[in-house]
Amino acid sequence: MKDRVVIKPTSRQEGHAELVMEVDDEGIVTKGMYFSITPVRGLEKMVLNKAPETAPVLCQRICGVCPIPHTLASAEAMDMALGIEIPTAAKLLRKATAAAHGINSAAIHQFLVAPDIAKGDDFVKAVDSVSEIRKTVQYVVDMCAGEGIHPADIRVGGMARNITPFTKERLIERMTALKPKLEAHVEFIKNLVLEAGLPKDLGVVNQPLMAMDATYGTNEFDMDKFSEVLPEAWYDDPEIGKEACSVIPLWEGTNVETGPRARMEKFQGFKDKGVVAQHVARADEMLKNYDACLEALDAIDTSAPANVSYDKRGTGELGFGVIEGPRGTDVHMAQVKDGKTQFYSAIVPTTWNIPTMGPATEGFHHELGPHVIRAYDPCLSCATHVMVVDDEDKSILKNEMVRI
Amino acid sequence: MPLGTYKEALSARSTEKKILDVSQDGGIVSALLCYALDEGIIEGAVVAGTPDDDWRPVPTVVTSADEVIAAAGTKYSMSPTLSALKAATRQYGLEKVGVVATPCQTQGLRKAQAYPFARFVADKIKLIIGIYCMENFPMASLDTFATAKLGFDSLQDATKMDIGKGKFWLTKDGEDSGLAIKETHGYEQAGCNICQDYVCEWADVSTGSVGSPDGWSTVLTRTDDGDSIFKGAVAAGLIETKPMDDVKPGLPLLEKLAKGKKDKNTAERERRAKMGVKIPAIY
Repeated sequence: MKDRVVIKPTSRQEGHAELVMEVDDEGIVTKGMYFSITPVRGLEKMVLNKAPETAPVLCQRICGVCPIPHTLASAEAMDMALGIEIPTAAKLLRKATAAAHGINSAAIHQFLVAPDIAKGDDFVKAVDSVSEIRKTVQYVVDMCAGEGIHPADIRVGGMARNITPFTKERLIERMTALKPKLEAHVEFIKNLVLEAGLPKDLGVVNQPLMAMDATYGTNEFDMDKFSEVLPEAWYDDPEIGKEACSVIPLWEGTNVETGPRARMEKFQGFKDKGVVAQHVARADEMLKNYDACLEALDAIDTSAPANVSYDKRGTGELGFGVIEGPRGTDVHMAQVKDGKTQFYSAIVPTTWNIPTMGPATEGFHHELGPHVIRAYDPCLSCATHVMVVDDEDKSILKNEMVRI
Repeated sequence: MPLGTYKEALSARSTEKKILDVSQDGGIVSALLCYALDEGIIEGAVVAGTPDDDWRPVPTVVTSADEVIAAAGTKYSMSPTLSALKAATRQYGLEKVGVVATPCQTQGLRKAQAYPFARFVADKIKLIIGIYCMENFPMASLDTFATAKLGFDSLQDATKMDIGKGKFWLTKDGEDSGLAIKETHGYEQAGCNICQDYVCEWADVSTGSVGSPDGWSTVLTRTDDGDSIFKGAVAAGLIETKPMDDVKPGLPLLEKLAKGKKDKNTAERERRAKMGVKIPAIY
């Protein structure tokens, strides 16, 4: 008889999810299923029939853990949907903001996994180090984008305003002072992970990688390669299919892995796979983001305009904002006509990873399951997107809400 | 006490000609800002910047003595100065900010400091220079004074604006035209009529012309920070002072006006309350 181990909700992640593992007599996972049980909030519906500027303001509220990528993806999608070419200074401010946030979010994740990898003094040291790193990078986000959590100054058409020469100098100075601390932090975290005793092959998957850019992101997204299926069709278990709150996005017909490891493999020649590799890649990527942030700050012409005026009527074409967020590729798409948003959709990092994370627990003891899940740094608040309407008669095909 | 809590009252003026040339009275606001900038007590300040020809005040972030002096002088319409505070603490990168504020704006700032609403904004305010304020006029009121009451074609024709000697003055082609203050009543913004604060009781240091002779200002130092910055500017030779007892009309006039505002506006508060209008709390 097959036993089932159910963890509900999974812990030390943002949002609510369930991990169901079928195990054999030794407790080894033979089938892993991971799915979101965070209720639908419908932000993509709220922005419809409103002015295009509404979307970045509302969509950044998808989550407080990675609001920066959502705002950027939303603004980029709207820029494209309105046919806006933003000024170079605005792009650089956005890049500096995204990179600084990338460091911040990786540090938060290290705080979440610290109990798994550090004990006693090491734990205290890890937490202190995370706080120290965050203070500086969040300062960069504050100054460039207005707020560290929900960035008010990332706008359709660019940024609210450029930074002053004084601020540029100050940010470069603070970031330069951070470098030795960050390098020590990355080394420290990597050592903790490598010495935590996690099996080397734990969590190894061989799914295709979803990563569109080494750091910031692009405006390109091939809709022909993208498809999605309802959870009922994906999960073998009809009960799970019914309870799951997110659709399953596929790229060229298959589920993918996205996130720091995917990016590091695709763009930086990183080779290892699995839980340990994910932690190591995430730590290494902090230094890549550091370089990207400093490079962007350094290149900003503080006397240049940071926004452009634009025609808000819209092109009627679908615009894409594809941002490489801390947890992976964050895709927002928008269509604007007659000054109102006609269509809006977000395919966010954890949604991509959800179908990959469950099977990644297979082949090892179920007690290691949560380690596998945490290595993806799942963030369910934004990953919940089931609201399926029949295109023909607009009847709601699926609207179950999960009661938590 | 009509003047609120204060440590010291003095009559004072800037010793710098370039400030006195452009200042409304004794140039105290400009002198204090320049001193605080020089000493690194603040890295910049949010002020009501000099209006363009249309006389509309522009909230401005200043970070140098030259910019302070360029923004000197009283503005006679409401300046949404605090709206520039966010940018000052963000894209301007200022971590120690001065604010030149009216009593109502100062109350807002103190509330923002007391309650953590404004993240990484209120905690960066290091100096509030308060200016005495009896009332303030919306732009439409100034337009009315210029065109309907003083016969100007447009407010933009005025080259100077001042209130003094019981009149509201506009200068055009070198000629001053005065409008009796009582003629301006009813044109102030409605909130001014229930405000209890004339001398900016919650500032670090407050200043204005009333109580001192022409070209001088009456200064009330209120907090430890305000007191030490003012004393520092005096010690640095940037400000000269006289005891209030030695000047005319002196503190009694200031007290009279401050009390007059409280009494008159208390009556207005009661009148409005009787009609069931909600009245803001007094601090």
